[in-house]
Amino acid sequence: MPVFKLCLKIFKKNIPVMSIYFGVFILVSFIMMSNASGAQLGYSDVKTDIAILAEEESVLIDGLKTSLSDVANFIEIGDERSEIQDALYFRRVGYILRIPSGFTAEFLAGDTPTLAKTVVPGSNSNIYIDMNIEQYLNTARLYANAMPDMDLGELTDEVLNDLAQDTNVSMLSGERIYGEQGMMQYYFNYLAYTFMFVLILGISTIMLVFNNLIIKRRNACSPISASKINFQFYLANMFFTLVSWLILVSLSLVFGRKELSNPNTLYFVLNSLIFAITASGISFFIGNLVKGREAINAVANVFTLGTCFISGVFVPQVLLGEGVLRIASFFPTYWYVKANAQIAGISNLSWSNLNGVGNTFLVQIGFAAAFFILAMVVGKRKQMAVEEE
Amino acid sequence: MFKHIFIYRLKVLMKDKTMLFWTLIFPIALAAFFKLSFGGLVEQGTFRAIDVVVVEETRQEGFMGVMESLSSGDDQLFNMTIEDMDTAKGMLEEEMVTAIITVNETIGMTVNQSGFGQSIVKSVLDQYNNTANAVENILSTNPAAFESIAEDLRSRVTYTVEQPITDAKMDITLNYFYALIAMASLYGSFFGMEEVNNIQANLSVHAARVNMAPVHKLKIFLSSTSASLVIQYSEMLVFLAYLRFILNVDFGSQIGLILLTTFVGSLVGISLGAFVSALFKSGEDVKTGILIGTTMTGAFLSGLMFGDIKYLVQTKMPILALVNPVNVLSDAFYALYFYDDYIRYTQNIAILLSFSFVFCTATYLIIRRRKYASI
Repeated sequence: MPVFKLCLKIFKKNIPVMSIYFGVFILVSFIMMSNASGAQLGYSDVKTDIAILAEEESVLIDGLKTSLSDVANFIEIGDERSEIQDALYFRRVGYILRIPSGFTAEFLAGDTPTLAKTVVPGSNSNIYIDMNIEQYLNTARLYANAMPDMDLGELTDEVLNDLAQDTNVSMLSGERIYGEQGMMQYYFNYLAYTFMFVLILGISTIMLVFNNLIIKRRNACSPISASKINFQFYLANMFFTLVSWLILVSLSLVFGRKELSNPNTLYFVLNSLIFAITASGISFFIGNLVKGREAINAVANVFTLGTCFISGVFVPQVLLGEGVLRIASFFPTYWYVKANAQIAGISNLSWSNLNGVGNTFLVQIGFAAAFFILAMVVGKRKQMAVEEE
Repeated sequence: MFKHIFIYRLKVLMKDKTMLFWTLIFPIALAAFFKLSFGGLVEQGTFRAIDVVVVEETRQEGFMGVMESLSSGDDQLFNMTIEDMDTAKGMLEEEMVTAIITVNETIGMTVNQSGFGQSIVKSVLDQYNNTANAVENILSTNPAAFESIAEDLRSRVTYTVEQPITDAKMDITLNYFYALIAMASLYGSFFGMEEVNNIQANLSVHAARVNMAPVHKLKIFLSSTSASLVIQYSEMLVFLAYLRFILNVDFGSQIGLILLTTFVGSLVGISLGAFVSALFKSGEDVKTGILIGTTMTGAFLSGLMFGDIKYLVQTKMPILALVNPVNVLSDAFYALYFYDDYIRYTQNIAILLSFSFVFCTATYLIIRRRKYASI
């Protein structure tokens, strides 16, 4: 199979460039893995990261810290302006509380001293932490005003005791696992970027070689029939697609090995296989359109990055605007990511649940067909060309 | 002679479409993708009134009064509806509301997941329940305190006062755009690389011919590199204008300093390219690889792909942040926007200028006085 062998040779030549993208995929997956928070059962309070810069120590302040420890993680930061600014901007902390010296004394004297807070204005953590600080201090004020003789330690204990009584929270249904979604979905989402790029690069490079008029003429007068050439050509591309798919899917499965036993896994794999077909259709189309090696690089980069950004591969679809998503829905990547979300949301794989996913699959297959047809139309035109364009 | 070489070099460079793509079109496209997809990121973590449904099984005037006051006004906490239990459950299941608040003898809540909204609702209920506990507790030991308590409850004190650190909006997406500008500036290194390739006789045929000309080498190099610098800086100005006026990315108001920073950035880019090209004798592909590798690693570490990385590097390995030109350049924009003083900004610009100086000097020392009898 000389044509098949030739194609493999060209693929091999591209391995160094492609391996960069596989490397990036592995790196990003690692980062995602380290950011993953485990699934949780039942309800728990959100804990937000805050920093306390205390200029005085007292039992009252210790009590405040104890009370806040239910809703906050304390992060140590330096008291430099730049450290405060950077920690807040990069959201290392959402709330910085400064306790001035003399606060406790003034508080106990019945005055209303103030605590300075530096926050991301209007943020959730701002409101959340405010509420808890005010509640602690106002309760302490109740005691201090009602029983002026009370010892500060006793007062703090009483306040903490009152605040420790939590409102009863029940879950709507007890069985399901709530909290963060599984990570498998994200590995598979991100796979779209690397996969699309590698396919476009690989397949269009080959098309570029075969579409070269001189090589085409040489091939035409070889003793192998055109249909055989075509067959081997498509076979090689299919082989390439499958190998890339296998590598990426196994990587994703390795990264998400903790969730391997979930019934959803099979559907993630199926979805990615459908995406493989669509992506190879796109690659054929692009391969028939572009004229030079440098153009392939440019198109592959812009097309992959662009579709991945607007389709929710890098930024979750829920955070994207409606208009952006509407544009994205003209690209198969959007439907691939959407299918992944639907699959992740399925708790039991009943037929009715799978209906929605099935439709999304169909849309992707439709895209694949459309791109293959487009590629053939463009390709046919090129074949008719007698002279170099 | 300077004018002649400069003008022809300009013409040559302007026809290089691949170069134009990577140094201008690609950053423009990336910025557009950022803008399109980061819309929601700006709003993430921002508080919005929480939708809750109240199921009132027992009438509790006091609590309902609190809820109503929290559900109205400018800074309302809740969007409250009152329904019966079945409807409420349906609403929660459909995720139309964050929580169901059940008013009975005690106040409780039902949710279907954990999150900020749920925790804030719970804090409000805790506040109500705990205050009731405290009042009961105090009255049981000191019944005479009734007056004082009533007074305190009427006039709740706000102890925290906001002390803003900057007037600028804490828009987390800005850093992505700053890192992108820095990346685009350092893509200027491709120009620098071309310039050296075109003047070192052992690197290209063109250079071999140029070396035959009876013109001082430094003169040729300076005039053609000036052409590169003009092109790169103009591209960066187009890019900046595009960011500012089409994508509405905020840079603050110090236009002069922003233009200066961009110029210094272009200078660092071109000198880096020249340096790498002079240092390595290998082919153009390898050099391009090295430049892309350096630039992209630098961009990654300055938060182009993940914003948190910049902060992580800065706090855990400050040295790495200082020797990474992409980070220093994007940090200059950051400092200009968020800081009122110019200490950090000046520091950044000084570092960039020293980078550029080192690259230029090294390039000069490597490429000067090379003579070849035969190549």
